[in-house]
Amino acid sequence: MAHVMAEGFKFRYLKTPVHGLDPRVKLLMTAMLFALALLSSNLYQEALVFAAVGVPAALARSLKRLLRIAALSLTFSLMIFAVNMLFGQPLLESAVITIRFLGIVAATSVFFVTTSPDEIEYVMRWFRLPRDFVFAFATSIRFVPVLMMDLTQIIDAQRSRGLEMDRGNPVRRIRNLIPVLIPLIVNALVRSGELAEAMEARGYGAVSRPTSMHALLMKKNDYAALLVLVPAWSLLITYFLGLL
Amino acid sequence: MGKIVEFLDYTFEYSGMERPAVEGVSFSVEEGEVAVLAGASGSGKSTILRSINGLIPHMYPGRRSGKVTVDGADVSSTPTYELARKVGFLFQNPENQIFMFTVEKDVAFGLENLGYEPEVIRRKVDWALGLLGISDLAKRSPSELSDGQKQRVALAGSLVMDPKILVLDEPTSLLDPRTAQDVVSLVSRLNKDLGLTVVLVEHRLELVSPMADRMVVLSGSRVWAEGSPAEVLGREGLHEVGLSPPAIVEVQKRLPSGDGLALDVDGFVRRFLADVGHRV
Repeated sequence: MAHVMAEGFKFRYLKTPVHGLDPRVKLLMTAMLFALALLSSNLYQEALVFAAVGVPAALARSLKRLLRIAALSLTFSLMIFAVNMLFGQPLLESAVITIRFLGIVAATSVFFVTTSPDEIEYVMRWFRLPRDFVFAFATSIRFVPVLMMDLTQIIDAQRSRGLEMDRGNPVRRIRNLIPVLIPLIVNALVRSGELAEAMEARGYGAVSRPTSMHALLMKKNDYAALLVLVPAWSLLITYFLGLL
Repeated sequence: MGKIVEFLDYTFEYSGMERPAVEGVSFSVEEGEVAVLAGASGSGKSTILRSINGLIPHMYPGRRSGKVTVDGADVSSTPTYELARKVGFLFQNPENQIFMFTVEKDVAFGLENLGYEPEVIRRKVDWALGLLGISDLAKRSPSELSDGQKQRVALAGSLVMDPKILVLDEPTSLLDPRTAQDVVSLVSRLNKDLGLTVVLVEHRLELVSPMADRMVVLSGSRVWAEGSPAEVLGREGLHEVGLSPPAIVEVQKRLPSGDGLALDVDGFVRRFLADVGHRV
Protein backbone atom coordinates (compact mmCIF):
# COMPACT_ATOMS: atom_id res chain seq x y z
CA MET A 1 0.00 0.00 0.00
CA ALA A 2 2.77 2.41 0.97
CA HIS A 3 4.56 1.48 -2.24
CA VAL A 4 1.45 2.30 -4.34
CA MET A 5 1.02 5.56 -2.41
CA ALA A 6 4.67 6.49 -3.03
CA GLU A 7 4.18 5.66 -6.71
CA GLY A 8 1.25 8.09 -6.81
CA PHE A 9 3.37 10.93 -5.47
CA LYS A 10 6.34 10.08 -7.71
CA PHE A 11 7.24 12.88 -10.10
CA ARG A 12 7.00 12.28 -13.85
CA TYR A 13 8.02 15.09 -16.13
CA LEU A 14 5.37 16.07 -18.69
CA LYS A 15 5.55 18.97 -21.09
CA THR A 16 2.59 21.00 -19.83
CA PRO A 17 2.10 24.67 -18.93
CA VAL A 18 1.95 23.77 -15.22
CA HIS A 19 5.07 21.58 -15.17
CA GLY A 20 6.97 24.38 -16.92
CA LEU A 21 6.16 26.99 -14.27
CA ASP A 22 8.78 28.29 -11.86
CA PRO A 23 8.66 26.02 -8.76
CA ARG A 24 8.12 29.08 -6.55
CA VAL A 25 4.93 29.86 -8.47
CA LYS A 26 3.81 26.25 -8.09
CA LEU A 27 4.53 26.42 -4.36
CA LEU A 28 2.54 29.62 -4.03
CA MET A 29 -0.34 28.08 -5.98
CA THR A 30 -0.28 25.02 -3.71
CA ALA A 31 -0.26 27.22 -0.60
CA MET A 32 -3.27 29.09 -1.98
CA LEU A 33 -5.16 25.86 -2.71
CA PHE A 34 -4.17 24.51 0.71
CA ALA A 35 -5.54 27.63 2.42
CA LEU A 36 -8.79 27.34 0.49
CA ALA A 37 -9.15 23.65 1.39
CA LEU A 38 -8.43 24.40 5.05
CA LEU A 39 -10.93 27.26 5.24
CA SER A 40 -13.76 25.52 3.37
CA SER A 41 -16.66 25.12 5.75
CA ASN A 42 -19.52 23.71 3.70
CA LEU A 43 -20.11 21.39 0.78
CA TYR A 44 -20.44 24.26 -1.75
CA GLN A 45 -17.09 25.68 -0.78
CA GLU A 46 -15.58 22.21 -0.91
CA ALA A 47 -16.93 21.74 -4.41
CA LEU A 48 -15.21 25.03 -5.31
CA VAL A 49 -11.94 23.76 -3.80
CA PHE A 50 -12.06 20.62 -5.94
CA ALA A 51 -12.84 22.74 -9.00
CA ALA A 52 -9.90 25.03 -8.18
CA VAL A 53 -7.57 22.03 -7.75
CA GLY A 54 -9.00 20.42 -10.89
CA VAL A 55 -8.01 23.30 -13.20
CA PRO A 56 -4.20 23.09 -12.72
CA ALA A 57 -4.41 19.29 -12.46
CA ALA A 58 -6.21 19.11 -15.81
CA LEU A 59 -3.75 21.56 -17.39
CA ALA A 60 -0.93 19.38 -16.06
CA ARG A 61 -2.63 16.27 -17.53
CA SER A 62 -2.52 14.77 -14.04
CA LEU A 63 -6.21 14.55 -13.15
CA LYS A 64 -6.20 10.75 -13.15
CA ARG A 65 -3.16 10.59 -10.87
CA LEU A 66 -4.76 13.04 -8.51
CA LEU A 67 -7.92 10.94 -8.36
CA ARG A 68 -5.79 7.86 -7.69
CA ILE A 69 -4.05 9.62 -4.79
CA ALA A 70 -7.45 10.73 -3.43
CA ALA A 71 -8.72 7.14 -3.74
CA LEU A 72 -5.66 5.87 -1.84
CA SER A 73 -6.36 8.25 1.01
CA LEU A 74 -9.97 7.07 1.18
CA THR A 75 -9.30 4.54 3.98
CA PHE A 76 -7.88 7.29 6.18
CA SER A 77 -10.77 9.57 5.20
CA LEU A 78 -13.27 6.93 6.27
CA MET A 79 -11.46 6.67 9.61
CA ILE A 80 -11.79 10.43 10.07
CA PHE A 81 -15.48 10.17 9.24
CA ALA A 82 -16.02 7.27 11.68
CA VAL A 83 -14.14 9.01 14.53
CA ASN A 84 -16.21 12.20 14.02
CA MET A 85 -19.44 10.23 14.07
CA LEU A 86 -18.32 8.35 17.17
CA PHE A 87 -17.66 11.60 18.98
CA GLY A 88 -21.15 12.81 18.25
CA GLN A 89 -20.63 15.07 15.24
CA PRO A 90 -23.68 15.29 12.97
CA LEU A 91 -23.53 13.41 9.67
CA LEU A 92 -23.16 16.55 7.54
CA GLU A 93 -20.41 18.02 9.75
CA SER A 94 -18.50 14.73 9.65
CA ALA A 95 -18.81 14.63 5.86
CA VAL A 96 -17.55 18.24 5.57
CA ILE A 97 -14.51 17.47 7.74
CA THR A 98 -13.76 14.30 5.76
CA ILE A 99 -14.07 16.05 2.40
CA ARG A 100 -11.91 18.89 3.71
CA PHE A 101 -9.18 16.34 4.39
CA LEU A 102 -9.51 15.00 0.83
CA GLY A 103 -9.30 18.57 -0.48
CA ILE A 104 -6.07 19.17 1.45
CA VAL A 105 -4.58 15.93 0.06
CA ALA A 106 -5.56 16.91 -3.49
CA ALA A 107 -4.21 20.48 -3.10
CA THR A 108 -0.78 19.35 -1.87
CA SER A 109 -0.63 16.59 -4.49
CA VAL A 110 -0.77 19.20 -7.27
CA PHE A 111 2.63 20.44 -6.13
CA PHE A 112 4.26 17.02 -5.87
CA VAL A 113 3.00 15.68 -9.19
CA THR A 114 4.09 18.78 -11.11
CA THR A 115 7.38 19.66 -9.34
CA SER A 116 10.54 17.60 -9.67
CA PRO A 117 12.65 16.88 -6.56
CA ASP A 118 15.30 19.01 -8.26
CA GLU A 119 12.96 21.99 -8.34
CA ILE A 120 11.97 21.43 -4.72
CA GLU A 121 15.67 21.54 -3.85
CA TYR A 122 16.09 24.83 -5.76
CA VAL A 123 13.20 26.34 -3.81
CA MET A 124 14.71 25.17 -0.52
CA ARG A 125 18.02 26.78 -1.47
CA TRP A 126 16.17 29.93 -2.54
CA PHE A 127 14.64 30.09 0.94
CA ARG A 128 18.25 29.89 2.20
CA LEU A 129 17.56 26.81 4.30
CA PRO A 130 20.74 25.32 5.82
CA ARG A 131 22.84 23.47 3.25
CA ASP A 132 23.00 20.27 5.34
CA PHE A 133 19.22 20.19 5.63
CA VAL A 134 18.69 20.68 1.88
CA PHE A 135 21.33 18.07 1.06
CA ALA A 136 19.79 15.56 3.48
CA PHE A 137 16.40 16.12 1.84
CA ALA A 138 17.84 15.72 -1.67
CA THR A 139 19.77 12.53 -0.93
CA SER A 140 16.87 10.95 0.96
CA ILE A 141 14.64 11.35 -2.10
CA ARG A 142 17.41 10.38 -4.51
CA PHE A 143 17.95 7.11 -2.63
CA VAL A 144 14.31 6.04 -2.38
CA PRO A 145 14.52 3.90 -5.58
CA VAL A 146 17.87 2.47 -4.45
CA LEU A 147 16.49 1.46 -1.04
CA MET A 148 13.37 0.03 -2.70
CA MET A 149 15.66 -2.15 -4.82
CA ASP A 150 17.61 -3.21 -1.70
CA LEU A 151 14.30 -4.07 -0.02
CA THR A 152 13.15 -6.20 -2.96
CA GLN A 153 16.46 -8.07 -3.02
CA ILE A 154 16.39 -8.70 0.73
CA ILE A 155 12.80 -9.96 0.59
CA ASP A 156 13.71 -12.29 -2.31
CA ALA A 157 16.79 -13.53 -0.44
CA GLN A 158 14.88 -14.18 2.78
CA ARG A 159 11.98 -15.85 0.95
CA SER A 160 14.41 -18.13 -0.86
CA ARG A 161 15.66 -19.12 2.59
CA GLY A 162 12.16 -20.08 3.68
CA LEU A 163 10.77 -16.88 5.23
CA GLU A 164 6.99 -16.78 4.79
CA MET A 165 6.15 -13.12 5.13
CA ASP A 166 2.41 -13.34 4.52
CA ARG A 167 1.74 -16.16 6.96
CA GLY A 168 0.33 -16.10 10.47
CA ASN A 169 -1.62 -13.67 12.61
CA PRO A 170 -0.91 -9.89 12.55
CA VAL A 171 1.65 -10.14 15.38
CA ARG A 172 3.48 -12.94 13.57
CA ARG A 173 3.45 -10.93 10.34
CA ILE A 174 5.04 -7.97 12.07
CA ARG A 175 7.68 -10.30 13.54
CA ASN A 176 8.28 -11.67 10.03
CA LEU A 177 9.45 -8.19 9.03
CA ILE A 178 12.43 -8.29 11.40
CA PRO A 179 14.65 -10.45 9.12
CA VAL A 180 13.92 -7.98 6.33
CA LEU A 181 14.30 -4.73 8.25
CA ILE A 182 17.59 -5.55 9.99
CA PRO A 183 19.58 -6.19 6.77
CA LEU A 184 17.87 -3.18 5.18
CA ILE A 185 18.97 -0.90 8.02
CA VAL A 186 22.49 -2.36 8.02
CA ASN A 187 22.69 -1.85 4.22
CA ALA A 188 21.49 1.73 4.59
CA LEU A 189 24.12 2.41 7.27
CA VAL A 190 26.91 0.99 5.09
CA ARG A 191 25.62 3.04 2.18
CA SER A 192 25.54 6.22 4.25
CA GLY A 193 29.17 5.63 5.28
CA GLU A 194 30.19 5.35 1.62
CA LEU A 195 28.14 8.44 0.79
CA ALA A 196 29.92 10.41 3.49
CA GLU A 197 33.28 9.37 2.02
CA ALA A 198 32.20 10.41 -1.48
CA MET A 199 30.94 13.77 -0.16
CA GLU A 200 34.30 14.48 1.49
CA ALA A 201 36.13 13.43 -1.67
CA ARG A 202 34.15 16.03 -3.63
CA GLY A 203 34.78 18.93 -1.34
CA TYR A 204 31.55 19.02 0.68
CA GLY A 205 31.78 21.75 3.29
CA ALA A 206 34.70 23.55 1.61
CA VAL A 207 32.91 26.90 1.58
CA SER A 208 30.19 28.17 3.88
CA ARG A 209 27.91 29.15 0.98
CA PRO A 210 28.24 26.78 -1.97
CA THR A 211 27.23 28.09 -5.39
CA SER A 212 24.65 26.57 -7.74
CA MET A 213 24.89 25.89 -11.46
CA HIS A 214 21.18 26.61 -11.89
CA ALA A 215 19.44 29.81 -10.91
CA LEU A 216 15.67 30.21 -10.58
CA LEU A 217 14.42 32.75 -13.11
CA MET A 218 10.85 34.01 -13.46
CA LYS A 219 9.66 33.92 -17.07
CA LYS A 220 6.73 35.53 -18.86
CA ASN A 221 4.41 32.58 -18.31
CA ASP A 222 5.20 32.66 -14.57
CA TYR A 223 4.07 36.30 -14.35
CA ALA A 224 1.00 35.44 -16.46
CA ALA A 225 0.14 32.60 -14.08
CA LEU A 226 0.44 34.98 -11.11
CA LEU A 227 -1.85 37.47 -12.86
CA VAL A 228 -4.56 34.79 -13.01
CA LEU A 229 -3.86 33.08 -9.69
CA VAL A 230 -3.74 36.03 -7.32
CA PRO A 231 -7.07 37.72 -8.30
CA ALA A 232 -8.91 34.36 -8.53
CA TRP A 233 -7.63 33.29 -5.13
CA SER A 234 -8.40 36.67 -3.56
CA LEU A 235 -11.95 36.41 -4.82
CA LEU A 236 -12.40 32.87 -3.48
CA ILE A 237 -10.80 33.53 -0.11
CA THR A 238 -12.99 36.61 0.37
CA TYR A 239 -16.03 34.43 -0.29
CA PHE A 240 -14.75 31.66 2.01
CA LEU A 241 -14.19 34.14 4.84
CA GLY A 242 -17.76 35.39 4.41
CA LEU A 243 -16.66 38.86 3.35
CA LEU A 244 -18.38 38.72 -0.01
CA MET B 1 58.36 14.52 -13.97
CA GLY B 2 58.67 14.03 -10.24
CA LYS B 3 57.09 12.08 -7.46
CA ILE B 4 53.44 13.09 -7.14
CA VAL B 5 52.44 10.55 -4.48
CA GLU B 6 54.90 9.40 -1.88
CA PHE B 7 54.49 7.07 1.10
CA LEU B 8 57.38 7.14 3.55
CA ASP B 9 57.48 4.39 6.18
CA TYR B 10 53.72 4.87 6.61
CA THR B 11 51.79 3.00 9.27
CA PHE B 12 48.12 3.41 10.09
CA GLU B 13 45.97 1.62 12.64
CA TYR B 14 42.23 2.35 12.77
CA SER B 15 40.87 3.31 16.19
CA GLY B 16 39.65 0.26 18.04
CA MET B 17 41.59 -2.22 15.89
CA GLU B 18 44.29 -4.45 17.29
CA ARG B 19 46.75 -4.37 14.42
CA PRO B 20 47.73 -1.81 11.79
CA ALA B 21 45.90 -1.81 8.45
CA VAL B 22 49.18 -0.84 6.78
CA GLU B 23 52.64 -1.01 8.30
CA GLY B 24 55.94 0.49 7.21
CA VAL B 25 54.71 1.16 3.69
CA SER B 26 57.07 3.06 1.39
CA PHE B 27 56.57 3.60 -2.32
CA SER B 28 56.09 6.45 -4.71
CA VAL B 29 54.24 7.20 -7.92
CA GLU B 30 55.69 9.45 -10.60
CA GLU B 31 53.62 12.14 -12.29
CA GLY B 32 51.71 10.75 -15.27
CA GLU B 33 52.16 7.13 -14.23
CA VAL B 34 49.52 4.43 -13.87
CA ALA B 35 50.12 2.56 -10.62
CA VAL B 36 48.19 -0.59 -9.79
CA LEU B 37 47.79 -1.66 -6.18
CA ALA B 38 47.10 -5.35 -5.77
CA GLY B 39 46.72 -7.74 -2.90
CA ALA B 40 44.29 -10.00 -1.11
CA SER B 41 41.28 -8.61 0.79
CA GLY B 42 42.38 -6.99 4.01
CA SER B 43 45.94 -6.39 2.80
CA GLY B 44 45.55 -2.61 3.19
CA LYS B 45 44.82 -1.44 -0.37
CA SER B 46 41.77 0.67 0.49
CA THR B 47 43.63 2.21 3.44
CA ILE B 48 46.40 3.29 1.07
CA LEU B 49 43.88 4.85 -1.35
CA ARG B 50 42.05 6.69 1.43
CA SER B 51 45.36 7.99 2.72
CA ILE B 52 45.97 9.65 -0.66
CA ASN B 53 42.84 11.83 -0.65
CA GLY B 54 42.93 12.54 3.06
CA LEU B 55 39.90 10.51 4.16
CA ILE B 56 42.57 9.00 6.40
CA PRO B 57 43.36 10.56 8.85
CA HIS B 58 40.73 13.36 8.57
CA MET B 59 37.63 11.14 8.48
CA TYR B 60 38.96 7.98 10.06
CA PRO B 61 40.84 8.56 13.30
CA GLY B 62 43.62 6.22 14.29
CA ARG B 63 47.26 5.84 15.20
CA ARG B 64 49.68 6.73 12.43
CA SER B 65 53.34 7.27 11.78
CA GLY B 66 55.41 8.04 8.70
CA LYS B 67 54.36 10.47 6.03
CA VAL B 68 52.15 10.67 2.94
CA THR B 69 52.79 13.47 0.47
CA VAL B 70 50.49 14.27 -2.45
CA ASP B 71 51.61 16.84 -5.01
CA GLY B 72 53.88 18.40 -2.43
CA ALA B 73 51.22 18.59 0.30
CA ASP B 74 51.44 16.66 3.55
CA VAL B 75 48.11 14.83 3.64
CA SER B 76 47.83 14.87 7.43
CA SER B 77 47.92 18.68 7.57
CA THR B 78 45.89 19.42 4.40
CA PRO B 79 42.07 19.54 4.64
CA THR B 80 40.16 17.04 2.50
CA TYR B 81 38.49 19.80 0.46
CA GLU B 82 41.95 21.08 -0.53
CA LEU B 83 42.99 17.56 -1.47
CA ALA B 84 39.73 17.21 -3.45
CA ARG B 85 41.18 19.73 -5.92
CA LYS B 86 44.23 17.51 -6.46
CA VAL B 87 42.78 14.03 -6.13
CA GLY B 88 39.70 12.64 -7.89
CA PHE B 89 38.36 9.51 -6.23
CA LEU B 90 36.22 6.85 -7.87
CA PHE B 91 34.70 4.42 -5.41
CA GLN B 92 33.75 0.81 -5.97
CA ASN B 93 30.00 1.37 -6.14
CA PRO B 94 29.07 4.33 -8.37
CA GLU B 95 25.53 4.30 -6.96
CA ASN B 96 26.84 5.56 -3.63
CA GLN B 97 28.65 8.57 -5.07
CA ILE B 98 25.88 10.01 -7.22
CA PHE B 99 23.89 12.37 -5.02
CA MET B 100 21.73 14.45 -7.30
CA PHE B 101 18.58 13.89 -9.36
CA THR B 102 20.13 14.53 -12.75
CA VAL B 103 23.47 13.62 -14.25
CA GLU B 104 24.59 17.19 -14.95
CA LYS B 105 23.66 18.34 -11.45
CA ASP B 106 25.64 15.54 -9.96
CA VAL B 107 28.68 16.32 -12.07
CA ALA B 108 28.39 19.94 -10.89
CA PHE B 109 28.24 18.90 -7.21
CA GLY B 110 31.97 19.14 -6.46
CA LEU B 111 32.40 22.50 -8.17
CA GLU B 112 29.39 23.93 -6.31
CA ASN B 113 30.97 22.74 -3.07
CA LEU B 114 34.17 24.59 -3.94
CA GLY B 115 32.21 27.78 -4.67
CA TYR B 116 32.87 28.17 -8.41
CA GLU B 117 30.82 30.73 -10.36
CA PRO B 118 27.76 29.26 -12.17
CA GLU B 119 29.14 30.06 -15.67
CA VAL B 120 32.43 28.32 -14.88
CA ILE B 121 30.57 25.30 -13.49
CA ARG B 122 28.41 25.10 -16.64
CA ARG B 123 31.49 25.21 -18.88
CA LYS B 124 33.41 22.59 -16.90
CA VAL B 125 30.39 20.27 -16.59
CA ASP B 126 29.82 20.38 -20.37
CA TRP B 127 33.52 19.64 -20.89
CA ALA B 128 33.50 16.65 -18.50
CA LEU B 129 30.30 15.21 -19.98
CA GLY B 130 31.75 15.54 -23.49
CA LEU B 131 35.07 14.01 -22.44
CA LEU B 132 33.32 10.90 -21.15
CA GLY B 133 30.84 10.74 -24.03
CA ILE B 134 27.77 11.16 -21.84
CA SER B 135 26.49 14.57 -22.94
CA ASP B 136 23.25 12.91 -24.04
CA LEU B 137 22.65 11.72 -20.45
CA ALA B 138 22.91 15.24 -18.94
CA LYS B 139 19.22 15.56 -18.03
CA ARG B 140 18.67 11.90 -17.12
CA SER B 141 18.03 10.64 -13.62
CA PRO B 142 20.74 8.37 -12.13
CA SER B 143 18.13 5.66 -11.52
CA GLU B 144 17.63 5.33 -15.30
CA LEU B 145 21.30 4.57 -16.00
CA SER B 146 23.16 1.29 -16.46
CA ASP B 147 26.06 0.44 -14.12
CA GLY B 148 28.60 1.38 -16.78
CA GLN B 149 26.91 4.73 -17.37
CA LYS B 150 26.81 5.37 -13.61
CA GLN B 151 30.53 4.68 -13.43
CA ARG B 152 31.12 7.26 -16.19
CA VAL B 153 28.94 9.81 -14.39
CA ALA B 154 30.89 9.27 -11.18
CA LEU B 155 34.13 9.61 -13.14
CA ALA B 156 32.89 12.85 -14.72
CA GLY B 157 32.06 14.14 -11.23
CA SER B 158 35.69 13.58 -10.22
CA LEU B 159 37.34 14.83 -13.42
CA VAL B 160 35.32 18.04 -13.52
CA MET B 161 37.34 19.23 -10.52
CA ASP B 162 40.46 19.06 -12.69
CA PRO B 163 42.49 16.77 -10.43
CA LYS B 164 46.11 15.81 -11.08
CA ILE B 165 45.62 12.36 -9.65
CA LEU B 166 42.79 9.94 -10.21
CA VAL B 167 42.34 7.26 -7.56
CA LEU B 168 40.10 4.30 -8.35
CA ASP B 169 39.01 1.70 -5.83
CA GLU B 170 38.12 -1.50 -7.71
CA PRO B 171 36.21 0.42 -10.38
CA THR B 172 35.21 -2.69 -12.33
CA SER B 173 34.23 -5.06 -9.54
CA LEU B 174 30.49 -4.56 -10.10
CA LEU B 175 30.64 -4.48 -13.89
CA ASP B 176 30.29 -7.17 -16.55
CA PRO B 177 33.52 -8.06 -18.43
CA ARG B 178 32.79 -5.91 -21.46
CA THR B 179 31.81 -2.80 -19.49
CA ALA B 180 34.82 -3.40 -17.23
CA GLN B 181 37.08 -3.39 -20.29
CA ASP B 182 35.41 -0.15 -21.48
CA VAL B 183 36.06 1.55 -18.14
CA VAL B 184 39.71 0.43 -18.09
CA SER B 185 40.22 1.64 -21.69
CA LEU B 186 38.65 4.95 -20.71
CA VAL B 187 40.99 5.36 -17.74
CA SER B 188 43.94 4.52 -19.97
CA ARG B 189 42.82 7.17 -22.47
CA LEU B 190 42.45 9.77 -19.69
CA ASN B 191 45.95 8.96 -18.50
CA LYS B 192 47.37 9.44 -22.00
CA ASP B 193 45.26 12.42 -23.14
CA LEU B 194 45.16 14.45 -19.93
CA GLY B 195 48.43 13.30 -18.42
CA LEU B 196 46.52 12.21 -15.31
CA THR B 197 48.37 10.19 -12.72
CA VAL B 198 46.29 7.10 -11.98
CA VAL B 199 46.41 4.98 -8.85
CA LEU B 200 44.02 2.07 -8.88
CA VAL B 201 43.15 -1.04 -6.99
CA GLU B 202 42.00 -3.89 -9.19
CA HIS B 203 41.79 -7.64 -8.79
CA ARG B 204 41.53 -8.44 -12.49
CA LEU B 205 45.23 -8.05 -13.23
CA GLU B 206 44.91 -9.18 -16.85
CA LEU B 207 42.67 -6.18 -17.39
CA VAL B 208 44.89 -3.48 -15.91
CA SER B 209 48.44 -4.84 -16.27
CA PRO B 210 48.75 -3.68 -19.89
CA MET B 211 48.32 -0.02 -18.98
CA ALA B 212 50.25 -0.09 -15.71
CA ASP B 213 53.66 1.53 -15.35
CA ARG B 214 54.07 0.42 -11.78
CA MET B 215 52.62 -2.33 -9.65
CA VAL B 216 52.62 -2.48 -5.87
CA VAL B 217 51.58 -5.74 -4.21
CA LEU B 218 50.52 -5.64 -0.58
CA SER B 219 50.42 -8.61 1.70
CA GLY B 220 49.78 -8.69 5.44
CA SER B 221 49.63 -4.86 5.58
CA ARG B 222 53.13 -4.51 4.06
CA VAL B 223 54.53 -3.99 0.59
CA TRP B 224 55.35 -7.45 -0.76
CA ALA B 225 56.62 -6.38 -4.16
CA GLU B 226 57.00 -3.18 -6.12
CA GLY B 227 58.20 -2.53 -9.63
CA SER B 228 57.16 -2.71 -13.26
CA PRO B 229 54.31 -5.15 -14.03
CA ALA B 230 56.79 -7.43 -15.77
CA GLU B 231 59.01 -7.54 -12.67
CA VAL B 232 56.15 -8.06 -10.26
CA LEU B 233 54.17 -10.58 -12.30
CA GLY B 234 57.32 -12.59 -12.99
CA ARG B 235 57.92 -13.13 -9.28
CA GLU B 236 57.30 -16.47 -7.65
CA GLY B 237 54.74 -16.67 -4.88
CA LEU B 238 51.97 -14.47 -6.30
CA HIS B 239 49.37 -17.12 -5.50
CA GLU B 240 50.54 -17.23 -1.89
CA VAL B 241 49.70 -13.54 -1.49
CA GLY B 242 46.23 -14.08 -2.96
CA LEU B 243 46.82 -12.92 -6.54
CA SER B 244 46.07 -14.58 -9.85
CA PRO B 245 48.51 -13.37 -12.48
CA PRO B 246 47.26 -13.10 -16.08
CA ALA B 247 46.80 -16.56 -17.66
CA ILE B 248 49.53 -15.94 -20.22
CA VAL B 249 52.05 -15.40 -17.45
CA GLU B 250 51.03 -18.70 -15.85
CA VAL B 251 51.37 -20.54 -19.15
CA GLN B 252 54.78 -19.10 -19.79
CA LYS B 253 55.98 -20.03 -16.34
CA ARG B 254 54.85 -23.65 -16.79
CA LEU B 255 56.63 -24.15 -20.10
CA PRO B 256 59.37 -26.77 -19.69
CA SER B 257 62.82 -25.38 -19.40
CA GLY B 258 65.94 -26.90 -20.86
CA ASP B 259 66.33 -28.44 -24.32
CA GLY B 260 67.49 -25.11 -25.61
CA LEU B 261 64.34 -23.33 -24.38
CA ALA B 262 65.77 -20.40 -22.47
CA LEU B 263 63.07 -18.77 -20.39
CA ASP B 264 62.96 -15.04 -20.29
CA VAL B 265 59.93 -14.37 -18.12
CA ASP B 266 60.55 -10.65 -17.91
CA GLY B 267 61.00 -10.22 -21.62
CA PHE B 268 58.03 -12.44 -22.41
CA VAL B 269 55.73 -10.63 -20.04
CA ARG B 270 56.96 -7.25 -21.25
CA ARG B 271 56.29 -8.15 -24.89
CA PHE B 272 52.85 -9.53 -24.00
CA LEU B 273 51.94 -6.44 -22.03
CA ALA B 274 53.19 -4.11 -24.74
CA ASP B 275 51.14 -6.01 -27.30
CA VAL B 276 47.93 -5.99 -25.24
CA GLY B 277 48.60 -2.44 -24.11
CA HIS B 278 48.82 -1.37 -27.73
CA ARG B 279 45.37 -2.78 -28.36
CA VAL B 280 43.91 -1.19 -25.25
